[in-house]
Amino acid sequence: MDFDFSEDQEALRDAVRRFVDKDYSFERRSQIVRAGGFDRAAWGGLAGLGLTALAVPEAHGGLGFGAVEAMVVMEELGRGLVMEPLAQGALIAPAVLSQAPHELQAAWLPRIAGGEALVVLAHQEARSRYRLNRVATRAVDGRLTGVKSLVPAGDVADAFIVPARVAGADDAPHGVALYLVERSAAGVHTRPYALYDGSRAAEVHFDNTPAHLIAGPDQGLMLLELAADIGIAAQAAEAIGVMEKYLALTVEYMNTRKQFGVVISSFQALRHRIADVKMQLELARSMSYYATLRLGDVPAVRRRALSQAKVQLGNSMRFVGQQCTQLHGGIGVTDEYAGSHYFKRLTAMEMQWGDTLHHLGEVSQGMQDTAGVFA
Amino acid sequence: MNLHFTDAELAFRAEVREWVQANLPADIAHKVRHALRMNKDDLQRWARILGTKGWHGWAWPTQFGGPGWNAIQRHLFEEECALACAPRIVPFGPVMVAPVIMAFGTPEQQQRFLPGIMSGEVWWSQGYSEPGSGSDLASLKCRAERQGDKYIVNGQKTWTTLGQYGDWIFCLVRTSSEGKPQTGISFLLIDMKSPGVTVKPIVMLDGEHEVNEVWFDNVEVPAENLIGEENKGWTYAKHLLSHERTNIADVNRAKRELERLKRVAKAEGLMDDARFRDQIALCEVDVVALEMMVLRVLSGERTGKQPLDVAGLLKIRGSELQQRYAELMMLAGGPLTLPHIHEAMEAGWQGDQWLGGAWLGGASHAIPLTGNYLNARKTTIYGGSNEVQRNIVAQTVLG
Repeated sequence: MDFDFSEDQEALRDAVRRFVDKDYSFERRSQIVRAGGFDRAAWGGLAGLGLTALAVPEAHGGLGFGAVEAMVVMEELGRGLVMEPLAQGALIAPAVLSQAPHELQAAWLPRIAGGEALVVLAHQEARSRYRLNRVATRAVDGRLTGVKSLVPAGDVADAFIVPARVAGADDAPHGVALYLVERSAAGVHTRPYALYDGSRAAEVHFDNTPAHLIAGPDQGLMLLELAADIGIAAQAAEAIGVMEKYLALTVEYMNTRKQFGVVISSFQALRHRIADVKMQLELARSMSYYATLRLGDVPAVRRRALSQAKVQLGNSMRFVGQQCTQLHGGIGVTDEYAGSHYFKRLTAMEMQWGDTLHHLGEVSQGMQDTAGVFA
Repeated sequence: MNLHFTDAELAFRAEVREWVQANLPADIAHKVRHALRMNKDDLQRWARILGTKGWHGWAWPTQFGGPGWNAIQRHLFEEECALACAPRIVPFGPVMVAPVIMAFGTPEQQQRFLPGIMSGEVWWSQGYSEPGSGSDLASLKCRAERQGDKYIVNGQKTWTTLGQYGDWIFCLVRTSSEGKPQTGISFLLIDMKSPGVTVKPIVMLDGEHEVNEVWFDNVEVPAENLIGEENKGWTYAKHLLSHERTNIADVNRAKRELERLKRVAKAEGLMDDARFRDQIALCEVDVVALEMMVLRVLSGERTGKQPLDVAGLLKIRGSELQQRYAELMMLAGGPLTLPHIHEAMEAGWQGDQWLGGAWLGGASHAIPLTGNYLNARKTTIYGGSNEVQRNIVAQTVLG
């Protein structure tokens, strides 16, 4: 049992932090938001650091790093509110495609590693909410028809990983397969939009679109669940970075802002609020570690741990976000101030990969007689 | 970074588990499992059994007769004891006064006091709080005046937990009114059988006698019972507080009590009620998060890289969680947790056997639960109130 980072991991953290500080300042980020929420140059910068190769197996030209390295990277990207979908393109896509037929692996994994191809998961549907098995998109003879929502950078991504139903009703527990679809394929139409957190997403329509099978209905849902859990762990790490930075901004503000002739950090009501924020941050960090360190476990153990983590993260993100905004007073609710963007990111993250109540339900359903980290 | 214990640590755990299973008396474990009232004999019997093995001072270094375990081994020992339903070791001797005697006592004091603490023979109490000095402990007034080779002690201590059983009490006493309040305090060991010591019970809101007032009326204490230097007691007491790190969170007990909460809820049919069940699920997430926080601290203690200034966080979270599961357990038990039956308690809370389920419609698992809830309100007050802890945490964040 050891929660220290290795020297290599600390060096990775420093490299990502330097990149964010230099190439992803708040001003730069604001430009990217105004330009639509995705920046090719920024993506190239991440690739230049080697981050797109992070989780790609070495055999396909990647670094073959593990979940802890991914966590370190995501924490730092969170601190800078980086919007380019690195977790999607560099963590989820390689994990899913590593289970695909060899020719798909060979065609896509090296290009992902090199930053030449952005592949994202397109799983959200208008009526599916957080149920991964609720899939209305249909696959008939390897051709997909349906609509996916909130696809990250959906109009610029090169390909999509798409859950589609080959059998059963829309909400049947079985019958979901995973496909890879190129954005340039026939019958793909994308309609981009900005999200409240400034990032870019799109509706992606498939109309009898040719697709490559990644995993059939015997494996599809299991692989999709793994993708979601990688998403939760990455998001948890990112959220730690977001919360840490927002707390730091708040502390700085409280130690500068004067009212009634004194800095507002001298008021006990506010000091106690900060203590509560710190508590929520450290509980969340503890569960972020837990999420990452359970990613390699068997599905039942992994899924339970990740749901537990998402509950803690959901509660912490809401508390930290709301309280740090409150502690800033009026400036905290302006668009001009960086803090509000941290709040918006925390807000958006709750509704990705299942909200707090959804995962509380999962934990509740799966409870055993015993409890604890090793139960 | 790695979540799992090493093979050596797992082997250590297995050894502890085997020993605890073989040596923990079944009647004591039964009382702990069902949160029945413990008496002095229960607590001291277990202390003596541990003492025979040299584990009553489980956190002690080998030079004072302890096992010399590292932070993780200590945690595993505490966890195994808690999960086996061993009583919580009364901390005043082995956890609170012993480290002070080791660090600041003379060799004579160490030889005189430590063996009785390790063996569980001598029961220690804590004399810190006073009626006028709670969170503001440094304002304490209980006076010790030096007269030749002894001190004359006058004043009152309060909230002395289980002081009715105490053989000895370690006290913070005022030996000087000069300078800052903190600088005039001394650390004195007092034989509670000395003439002039009076212990008066304080009955708490649950009807139980757990804490006491301790009065000192011209009590003569040999000067050799002073620890370290006169007027340095505050420093020594702070040293003691630094020894209370992870076990302050009591996460192992939380895990055991959560299991019990599930048993009560199941017996009441509430595990099928999503509204109630989700509250338990939330508690379960809280327990895992708290345990991970404790493990992070343990890992930091081993490697010397302590990323987290946590004593305050652990105290706040651990105590809040204790209150939460006590509350949920009471609510799970429902209205039949309300009867307050003295005879049942006098019989040792053996609800299942003594009442045979007959008095209260078979809800005997629920009998003491309101009392436990009421009792648990103390947890956010003692050991430095949670508001004081928040001041400390805020200081580390805001400066």
